[in-house]
This record gives sequence, C-alpha cells and structure tokens, in this order.
Amino acid sequence: MKIYRIILFSVCLICLGCIPPKTTFYWGDYSSTLYELKKNPDDRTLDDHKKELLLIFDESDRLNLKVPPGLYAEYGYILLKDGHEIEGLEYLDKELSLYPESKVFIYRLKSEIARRKK
Amino acid sequence: MKIVLKFLSFSFFMVLFGCNTYITKEEFSPELYSERPITILVLPPINNTTASDAKEYYSTTVSEPLANSGYYVLPIEVVNDILQQEGLFDTETLESIPLQKFFEYFGADAVLSVTLEKWDIQFLLTSGSVTVKVSCQLQSTHTGKILWYYDDEISVSTTGETGGAKGWAGLLVQVLTTAVKTATQSYIPIARKVNSQIFITLPFGKYHSEYDTDKSYQIKKK
Repeated sequence: MKIYRIILFSVCLICLGCIPPKTTFYWGDYSSTLYELKKNPDDRTLDDHKKELLLIFDESDRLNLKVPPGLYAEYGYILLKDGHEIEGLEYLDKELSLYPESKVFIYRLKSEIARRKK
Repeated sequence: MKIVLKFLSFSFFMVLFGCNTYITKEEFSPELYSERPITILVLPPINNTTASDAKEYYSTTVSEPLANSGYYVLPIEVVNDILQQEGLFDTETLESIPLQKFFEYFGADAVLSVTLEKWDIQFLLTSGSVTVKVSCQLQSTHTGKILWYYDDEISVSTTGETGGAKGWAGLLVQVLTTAVKTATQSYIPIARKVNSQIFITLPFGKYHSEYDTDKSYQIKKK
C-alpha cells in the first residue's frame, strides 16, 4: 500500500511540474495588430496598433501588472515619428523608469531623434 | 484496486522511461546561468525558406514569449527601424558587425538570431498542411559565447471541413475549404505554436517569478 501512495504522489508531482507558469504580462492582441500593420501599412492599421498599445497600458494598470518590455518605447517612437515630440519623449521616459536596463537604448534613441531634427 | 495499482505503476514507469530523453535546463545551457543576460536584442530573422515575406512577419511574434520568460526585450520594431536607417537590415551586413557593438549601441547583453529553416505548404486537394522549422540562438555580446540554442519543427493541418454535406458535394466543399484555408493560413498562430515549443527550454530571466530556481527543470533533449 505504501508503494501505491509513493507512486500516486510521484505521478501528481510530475503532473504538477507540467503546469505552465502564470502570465507575467498582459499582451492583448499585440502581435496581430503589429502583423496587420506590417502587412498593410496605412493610417488604419497604424491607428489600430496604437489603440491596441494604449489598451495594453490601461489593462496592465487595471490588472496591476507591469507594461511589457519595450511597449512604452514603441508607442513613444510612433508618436515622435508623427511629430508629437513632448508626448513621445514622455513615453520614452516611462520605459526608462519602468525598465532601467533600457538606459543605453533610450539615450541612443533620444540622440538619434535630435540628430534627425537637425 | 489491484488494477488501478498496476495501471499507476505502469504509467509511472512509462513516464520515467520517457524521461531518459530529458536533461535539466542547467545542463542544457550552463553558460546562460553563469552570464545571466538581462537585455536581449532580436535580430531580423534569417530566412532560408521560399516564403519571402516570412522574415517580415515572424518577428512580430517573438517579443511576447521572450519577455514572458523574464527578459528585457528591446522593442523589435524600433530597433529594426534604426538598423534600417543605418543601412544594416540585411542579414549579411548584420553578421559583419562585432557583437560588442550591440552592447555599446543598444545596451544588449545578448542577441537572439532566429533562422527560418522551413515554411512548406503542402496541398493535396482534400488535405493541406503547413510545416514550419525554426531555430533560435542566443549569443552573448560580452563574451561571444552561445548561451542557448534550440530548434523545432511543427506541422499544422489546414484540411477543410465538409460542412455537413455528404458524397460528392461534401468532397467538393472540402476541396474548396482546404484550398482557402491553406492559402489564407495566417503566420501568427503557426509562429506562436513553434515559439511556445522553443522558448519553454529557455532558462527564466530576471523578470520571471521563478528566476534562478529553474535549473533542475527537465527539458526535451535535442
């Protein structure tokens, strides 16, 4: 009977090990809207992708999750390319404060933007 | 009770037997545990397939599983845009750049190279499928060492339904739906399936709740 218990316990342990880890981030439909944007780059698909990014920010906030890495920077970069400089830079700073390891990249991006303006 | 006991013992030994082809994550990628990269830059995929647009689309699915594994993934679209502006988007040009430059310019501890080996569409009137093979390699920008490598192949069926119709009519519907399904099969779900099989073998990074505690996890040996 003891063997039966040991086997049952081991089987349960193995099965438990197979459960995937819980989600760390909320991604919404990120890859789908990005895919559409790359496939048919126009105002509509860009707008859809921007909306999806904003939705991810709101939903992450609501669920008390961190915004996934890179997404604040991606949104800020889109705004900067659209000519919304102040708001765009704000989003780059949000990325930096949320993920300090983005420092080199964000500084590079800011200097790149300053260079393009000249 | 005896039957249950026998069945359980049998299942247990089957599982143990199956474990022979498994190794721990630490044995699989020891360098990654010693270097502990945080920031990852994903290079534009290398496309060895006949699907010319696969390169453009595949990268849209990589950030998610990589970040969920606990790494800081530099925004792929922004990085690609900068590389393009600098005239560095081509795979051949990128290969000539010393890896340390990616740390200097972007702060990346490691670069992920994705190679699309196979993206085959099979279509035989009533049955269709898409077979995809992808390989991923993570290389350190500090030491140049390969920290992790994995490849996998999956096949997704695109065989259509008969729509309830029987006989010749059903067959005709099936031929048509298979043709449409195979032709319009989106890259995203297939790429996601391949990614989930590949990235499960990657040790967890800093932002994962199980960071540094997954060394003994068993993964499928290649």
